[in-house]
This record gives sequence, structure tokens and C-alpha cells, in this order.
Amino acid sequence: MEKPRILKNGIAIMGLVIILLYIIMIIVSSFWLPFDPSEMDVKHVLESPSFGTGHFFGTDEFGRDVLSRIMKGSSVSLIISISATALGAVFGIMMGIWAGFLGGRWDNFIMRIADIMFSFPSLLMAIFVMAVLGENTYNVIIAIGIIYIPQFARISRGAILSLKSNEFIRAARSNGAGNIYILFRHLLPNSMPPIIVQVSLSLSVAILLESSLSFLGLGVQPPEPSWGNMLSSARKVMMIAPWTAIYPGLAIITLVLGFNLLGDGLRDILDPRLRNVS
Amino acid sequence: MGKEIILHVEGLRTEFQTERGIVQAVNNVSFVLHRGETLGIVGESGCGKSVTNFSILKLVQYPPGRITDGTVLYNEKDLLQCSEDEIRTIRGKHIAMIFQDPLTSLNPVIKIWVQIAEALRLHQGMSKKDAKAKAIELLKLIGIPDAEQRADNYPHQFSGGMRQRVMIAMALSCNPDILIADEPTTALDVTIQAQILEIIKNLSQEHKTSVIMITHDLGVVAEMCDAVCVMYAGRIVERATIDELFYDPKHPYTIGLLNSIPRIDQDSEEHLHSILGAPPDLIDLPIGCPFQPRCTHAMEICAYKSPPEFSMGGDESRTVACWLHEKEHAHG
Repeated sequence: MEKPRILKNGIAIMGLVIILLYIIMIIVSSFWLPFDPSEMDVKHVLESPSFGTGHFFGTDEFGRDVLSRIMKGSSVSLIISISATALGAVFGIMMGIWAGFLGGRWDNFIMRIADIMFSFPSLLMAIFVMAVLGENTYNVIIAIGIIYIPQFARISRGAILSLKSNEFIRAARSNGAGNIYILFRHLLPNSMPPIIVQVSLSLSVAILLESSLSFLGLGVQPPEPSWGNMLSSARKVMMIAPWTAIYPGLAIITLVLGFNLLGDGLRDILDPRLRNVS
Repeated sequence: MGKEIILHVEGLRTEFQTERGIVQAVNNVSFVLHRGETLGIVGESGCGKSVTNFSILKLVQYPPGRITDGTVLYNEKDLLQCSEDEIRTIRGKHIAMIFQDPLTSLNPVIKIWVQIAEALRLHQGMSKKDAKAKAIELLKLIGIPDAEQRADNYPHQFSGGMRQRVMIAMALSCNPDILIADEPTTALDVTIQAQILEIIKNLSQEHKTSVIMITHDLGVVAEMCDAVCVMYAGRIVERATIDELFYDPKHPYTIGLLNSIPRIDQDSEEHLHSILGAPPDLIDLPIGCPFQPRCTHAMEICAYKSPPEFSMGGDESRTVACWLHEKEHAHG
């Protein structure tokens, strides 16, 4: 058995390693944390990172351990990012392939809706949705998912349109294949590369969006830790205790980087024209 | 003749709506195909050869294309009246197609054997294992070495000639009655062309498959076909058996085509003969014979009256649509 293709791609491996580290961290954090992330400790407020106290990343203004909060927050961030992307991708792709495949009036109708959704700046749209739905973790998922719908719709429609006129679609038809069969068997798999790249990008952007929303106080609500609301509360003490801002910031940067690297690598791998080239 | 008629196309008309007007791509085309026969449809680019055959299987995209008239009788069933579901059971199973460009006719992300087995799985509900075995068998039949290993390849790992063979394997997987080959060799180089034609010929003879061979290459016609229809501007201008076509062409267009073939014994100093002018604009066809503006034998009547198909000697399979041959028709 030859090596899976993903292991031959350095960029993808780097991204994958970063994401795997986070996943391990999430698993570990679900049954062990250095400290209770929401336990306040007035004797150790704003302590700088040190090995002696066991607070490797220091403590925040309530004396809570920053490392424990980052670990707890990573699962929140990752779950939001994955579910929001899944939500946006499922509905967006459904809209997109429908529009692209049926064409004509349906195409026009669906894509104009997507255009309207596109015309709102994404953060504004998210704030609007959060304001309507109320501030909690699930609504963050819905808000980010809604932002993603038109993006996925546009990308999948474009892919379907460019594939639809291909000769092999006509060949499949001449073989007696029906619309649904052609759509799922021939069109969708071929439109995967751009969609997958979009998914990986969306995962990283979702982390940024979630952090932004939480930073603005609209996302994950304290005391539940999320990277965004950690940054938000660190804002006040950043000058005297920079570690409260630096470490959550680093967490966001590395995970976003990990998804982007994986996405780039995946694009190279998934493009069938690059397959098995020795 | 006593030969069994397998496909009867009668008065087929297909038009395309464009911004400039309606294009009559196929204009009152009729022909019959007998069992085991290879029928060539010849003509220059844009004369409606391909559209005729897409129309047979109702594969013309609507919009802009539309089949406006005609019948296509296959097993006493008019394919043009069939519902989409009905005709899908015919496509691939009873009437299969090979396309012009093997490079784009295979789905790049699906393994070769899966594509060959597509029709089998769609029409016969074959299990995955059986279908794969059958696909490998077909690959061997069309002469792909290491068929077992190659079956798991993707199309880009195959050369153009091999992909065209795969197309043939796909088309023949269900043992169709009729194989429509739409310029199967145009995109290939000459040595591969000969191999591909050989494969089509052998397999069609073996399985008693009737073949409709669409081509603009008279060499291919000479090699493959029993009977020929020459098309010009959406209509059939001459139909003949292969011998009649090459030894006794009647229509000025056919004669022009035959004269345009470079000959190996020809003086190289001499210019190659060509038919003057360009094919007519199918949007506003001349009222008379469509070939009249380019015809060296054009008469007065040609300019205002389109010639019907005159049968020569009362034989329905030997017709010429040209006023020059009106008399022969009358005497016959």
C-alpha cells in the first residue's frame, strides 16, 4: 500500500499537525485541565507566566489560569467553526447546484438572493443576526453559517456551470443517466476542489469571526471562555499583563494558520490532474 | 432487400433559436438503418451531422435546440414521443454513442472501470463486483494491456487513443443494437485512427451492431461503411451504397468532395481541388437549392426551387437531391 497522498504534501502535513495538536488539546481538556478555568483566585491576580506557580501562561484579572481557559476555549472555537462551516456549506451548496443545474429563472432567483446576502458586510450581518436571535453559542453558529451560505452558493454554482457543458456529461446522458445521477455522480465530485478550498478557508475565517463577535460581547458569553472574549477582557489589563492577550491571540493565529495550510495542501491533493504524478 | 430495418428516421427537423434568428440545423432528414449495417453520414463542419444524431436520442439541449418535426422509429417505437424516463432506458442500452473528443468525454475524477460499468449499473443493476469484472473484460477486448491494473486508473493516465477505446468499451458494454460514432477518430492521429476504426469494425461485426458513422473523412467512409448519406446545410443531398458513391457520384457536391481528396498519384505541382465558396448561413437559407451558389452546374430552376430527393432507378436507397437528375428519376 502506497503512502496516502496527504503525507507527501509538506504544507498539508504542517496544517494537519497543527490541527491535530489542537484536537489533542481539546480531548485532553475535556477530562483534565491544569486549573479550573472559571475558578477565581484573588491571591494570584495577573500573575506573570511562571513554572513555579504552575500558571504557565499566567493568570488573568480574576486570577483564572490563562492556559486552562485557552484549552477550554479551543473546543468552543473549533466546534463553532466546524458547525458554522457545515451549516453554510450544506445550504450554500444546495442552493448553488440547484441554481447552476437548473439554470434560467431558478438560477436568476437564487443568485439574486445570494447577492442580497452578499451585499451586507459579513461582520455587520453577523451582528445583525446575533441582535435578532440573542446572544448565545448556538446563535453564533447560525450567524456565521448564514454569512457563508452565499459564498458556498456562488462557488458551487460556478463549478457546476463550468462542468455542465462538458462532453462527459453528454456522454453520461447518452448512457442513460438521469438528472439526479448526473448531478451527484458527475457534477458534484468534480466541483469538489474549489469547495474544499473554500471549506478550509471558511473554517479559519469562522474562528476569526467567532473571536470578533465574542470580542464585541455578542458571541460566547462569559464566564464561558472563548478566545474572543478572553481578548476582550484582556484589553483592560493588556498594558500591565500582556500575556492575557498574547496567548489567546497566538492560539487564534496558529489555528487559523493550520486550517489555511491544510486547505492549500488539500487543494493540491484533491485536484485529480495532480494525482499519482510521480 | 429483405434486410431488417432497425432504425427509421423520417422527416427529422431540428432548429436552434439564436439571437440572430432560427437556425435550421437539421432540415427534413430521413434515412433507414438496417441491422448489422454501417451507415456513414458525411458532410463538412456545421452541416448538421452531429445534431441529427443527438436528435435521435433526444440529446439536443433545450433551450436553444428543439426538435420540431419528424419520427425516429426504433422497434416500432417513436423515440421522439418518448418521455425522458422512457428514452433513458434506451440510451446506452439499445442505442449508444461514441463522442468526438475522447479527452473531454470521460469524467476526470472517476476511475476508468467505474465509467465503463456506468451503463451496466444503470441498466442492468449489476453488482459492483460483476460490473468490475465485466469492465476489465471489455478493457481486454479493446486491447488495453494490463487491464486489471489499468481499470483502477483515472482518465488522465490514459492516452487519447486509449481513452477513445474506453469510450468504445463504454458504448458497447450493454451490447447495443445501434452504435452512433460521432467523428470517433477526428481527435486522434492517423495510426491510432486506423486501430480505433478496426476495433469498431470488428466489434460491430461480432455483435451484429448497426453503426452510424458520422465523419467528414471520406477515407473513413471508404474503410468502414456499407451505405452513405451525404449531408449539406442540414439536408441529405445524396444517399448511395459505398460503391455507388465512389464510382458513380451524382450530386455536384459529392463530386466536389471526392475531387477534393488528395491523391497519391497526383502531380504534386497541381493545386488541390476545392469547392469554391463557403457553406450557406443556416439562418437565412437560399430559397432554392442550398448548394446552388457554389454549384458549377447551377441552372435557372436551382435558384428558386429546392430539389426534392430523386430516387435513381426507383431505388429508395439511391437518391440525389439535384435538379440535374430529375430526368433519370422520371425514366426510372
